[in-house]
Amino acid sequence: MKVHYYPGCTLKQKTTALDISTREALKRLDVELVEPEGWTCCGAEYPLTEEKIAGLAAPIRTLRQVRDEGGDILVTTCSFCFAVLKRADRALQDDPLKHKRVNAYLRDDIQIDPLTKARTTGFEDYNGEVKVLHLLEFLRDRVGYPRIRERIKRDLEGLAIAPYYGCRVLRPREEMAVDDPESPRLFEEFLEAVGCGAVDYPFKQECCGSYLSVSLPAAATEASYRVLRSARMNGAKAVAVTCPLCFYNMDHRQDAIKEAYLDFPGLPVVYFTQLLAWALGVDRSVLGLGEHRVPADGLFLEIPATEVRT
Amino acid sequence: MTTKPKLKEKRIGLFVCHCGVNIAGVVDVGKVAEQLKDTPGVSFSTDYVYMCSDPGQQMIIDTIKEKHLDGIIVAACSPTLHEKTFQEAARLAGLNPYQIEIANIREQDSWVHTDKEKATKKAVKIVKSHVAKARQNENLDPIKVDVNRRALIIGGGVSGLQAAMDIADHGYEVILVEKNPSIGGKMIQLSETFPTLDCSQCILTPKMVEVSRHPRIKLLTYHEVDSISGFVGNFKVRIKKRPRYVDETLCNLCGECEKVCPQVVPDEFNMGLSFRKAIYLPFPQAIPGTYTLDAENCLGLNPVRCGKCKDVCDKKAIDYDMKETITEEEVGAVVVATGYDLYTMQALGEYGGEKYDDVVNGLEFERILSASGPTGGEIRRPSDGKVPRSIVFVQCSGSRDSEKHLPYCSKICCMYTAKHAMMYRHRVPDGQATVFYIDVRTGGKSFDEFYMRTVEEDKVLYIRGKVSKIFKEGDKLIVWGVDTLTGKKVEIEADMVVLAMAMVKADGVQDLLKKLKIATDIHGFLAEAHPKLRPVESLNAGFYLAGCAHGPKDIPETVAQASAAAAKVGDLFAQKELVHEPTVVPVNDELCSGCGICLTMCPYTARTLDPARGVVVVNEILCEGCGACAAACPSGAAQQRNQTDDQIFSMLRAMLRD
Repeated sequence: MKVHYYPGCTLKQKTTALDISTREALKRLDVELVEPEGWTCCGAEYPLTEEKIAGLAAPIRTLRQVRDEGGDILVTTCSFCFAVLKRADRALQDDPLKHKRVNAYLRDDIQIDPLTKARTTGFEDYNGEVKVLHLLEFLRDRVGYPRIRERIKRDLEGLAIAPYYGCRVLRPREEMAVDDPESPRLFEEFLEAVGCGAVDYPFKQECCGSYLSVSLPAAATEASYRVLRSARMNGAKAVAVTCPLCFYNMDHRQDAIKEAYLDFPGLPVVYFTQLLAWALGVDRSVLGLGEHRVPADGLFLEIPATEVRT
Repeated sequence: MTTKPKLKEKRIGLFVCHCGVNIAGVVDVGKVAEQLKDTPGVSFSTDYVYMCSDPGQQMIIDTIKEKHLDGIIVAACSPTLHEKTFQEAARLAGLNPYQIEIANIREQDSWVHTDKEKATKKAVKIVKSHVAKARQNENLDPIKVDVNRRALIIGGGVSGLQAAMDIADHGYEVILVEKNPSIGGKMIQLSETFPTLDCSQCILTPKMVEVSRHPRIKLLTYHEVDSISGFVGNFKVRIKKRPRYVDETLCNLCGECEKVCPQVVPDEFNMGLSFRKAIYLPFPQAIPGTYTLDAENCLGLNPVRCGKCKDVCDKKAIDYDMKETITEEEVGAVVVATGYDLYTMQALGEYGGEKYDDVVNGLEFERILSASGPTGGEIRRPSDGKVPRSIVFVQCSGSRDSEKHLPYCSKICCMYTAKHAMMYRHRVPDGQATVFYIDVRTGGKSFDEFYMRTVEEDKVLYIRGKVSKIFKEGDKLIVWGVDTLTGKKVEIEADMVVLAMAMVKADGVQDLLKKLKIATDIHGFLAEAHPKLRPVESLNAGFYLAGCAHGPKDIPETVAQASAAAAKVGDLFAQKELVHEPTVVPVNDELCSGCGICLTMCPYTARTLDPARGVVVVNEILCEGCGACAAACPSGAAQQRNQTDDQIFSMLRAMLRD
């Protein structure tokens, strides 16, 4: 299966672990990932926060490129990219004026071959032809859990993982329409397919602090602490995330968390794709474990996972 | 077009109404009367300021007699308003009421136009088209049919019981069908009732006994209505008897069977908070007072597999060979009192009711409060039986949330939550009761006084705001909410949470309602014929509504509605015979090819195909004269009386000619 894949800039720069483990895992599920040519930054939230038509041009240009390359779905793993791409797409479908204006901007992309006078790129308006899927959704709906179960090489039974949705995958309910945001099953079912145990805990959809990490670090520290503490209290050996920012707030910030909350002993944070890749038999050296501030190596040992202690 | 049969020319009278300035302000009514004067068929024409007034009607009556008119056109307002008035006037003058023709020159002309000249021209066209139709109107007689003076009540909750009692007391026979082993409905599960705090069981059980002993009420518990056919005054009802496996005439409630039964299942009466056996008495005051064997949970209705209950039964009341049976009854009216359900815990994932035992709904809390409940009336939480030191009550759980849940108000939750909090404070005096509310709605006799007592005397803390999330941490439930009066987030540790769940349509009866084709609203509650003027009648003739099947309501309102429905049934039964509009759509056997297209069009199942003759036959009592079949019929065999194709085409010609 060949599918368009949008890594987003964070995965290319700050946290390659998510990108690498995604590629390694999907290779083993016979999925070929194709990056749309000339993709740009999705706009990281800004297209959605302000009523600026120009901001929407970036995500829509990428979607149009996917369409022009003959694709009808675009898979992404970063929750922020997912939210921005999906909601930008939706914004155009819901608002004819936005649709008209964004496409008008994008017509500047049209290049005309000076000899044949034929248009080479930016052929037509983008009309919502591409469906944006989160990798979790793609695995559930297109790849299917049975195929994952078939290909499992390592037994992770007994490894209690706390799935962390964060804010971006499930909400707003009507627009994302991925799962019930109040009692979701998407991530849990994925973990079960991979062979881990999914820990049920009340903070799985609460905010990690997001960009407050920059403007009000103490607030992000507190928010992330509450998530980690709840996961730990409910027996998790690690928290699995889908978003680089969640990862940053919960992993990179854990020193600050421990400093602020002396009772907190720490908890590893991993990307869901690292667990998937590991279960599918990918070597631990390519999982990007070096990026973790909180050592997560203990989760990826060649011994029965039931004996893993972190 | 076929050639028109030669008609004896009619003597039509035209009466144009001014309706004060409503019509005359825009339409030149005098001109309309004048211009139509010489139209073929019209032999009299005039205008008058208010045709519907007494002198107006008298003028019509006198003119009919004087000029020997045999057709009347009243050019006035919509026929929905005064057609009946003028039909009655015609009858008084000795003219067949179906010779009255209403030309609507108000709603369809003067009210929607301002240009006098054009409006007048339009009025002339409208009236002309009605002249064309009136020339072909026939004398019709209302269809008459007998009434079967027996009533069927579906549902044996308080509304069904009240309706049954009232109708039976009027002197008519009643058949009361209840699906469950006992009558009593949801009300029998309640502890105390607001605002008087009288015990629900104490006030309902006498009514249950009365119903069961009434000579004119046939009580069928553990029965279900399978289907209803026929029409108002003449329904045929198929009633399914579920096998109880215990002969209710023999069972003496000794209880030996229950003792030996090895099968333990959650007790529905206690909302699953306690257990019962597979052979059980739903509750001590159950009527009929008999054990019921629940086959679904029995080991197999087979002496080889278990048979313990049968062995110990001295009265030989237990019979494993009972079968489902169907009986037929004939009734004239049906009261639908099928009750409600509560919104499910699954639908409110954020409140965790599915995961946490100590998050309960209002009805579960009623059982915890009830002296006959699983804890004997002591307030103990379901998970570990501890007395909760703090309870949070969440009003509008699922109600008044058009974005995520249900847009409507469930009406009774404000009052029962106040009662719950008050009862809790009475029984656990050092307990903390906190209520989250959007508004407190206490419209009802002595309701607000009751609520104020809860706040002022019983010191219940009311927080205005919604709860966003409930989760467990250790032994405690953490409730996240907002206090919208201070604008602050609130976090409360509680031992127990009571959700005032929204009331929703009863799930178990939806199939039946669909089969009966009873009109419902968008939320699945039964729809009344008119929200103000016909609140207890269904749009389906012969069906009446009572209780929460029609929408959320409290006990006093339910009882009042049930009595009103009973009174309406009394109205129906007081008629010597029923009359039905004769403007139905019969079938011309000569033309009908039996294609059956009209069958699929008919929303009232009035038309059936006679397989022997290959033509469609019409039950004229069921036909409501909507005309859908007439429009669909390819051969013209279906012609609505006084609205034939010929008449419609003549109207069009009259309107389009110039």
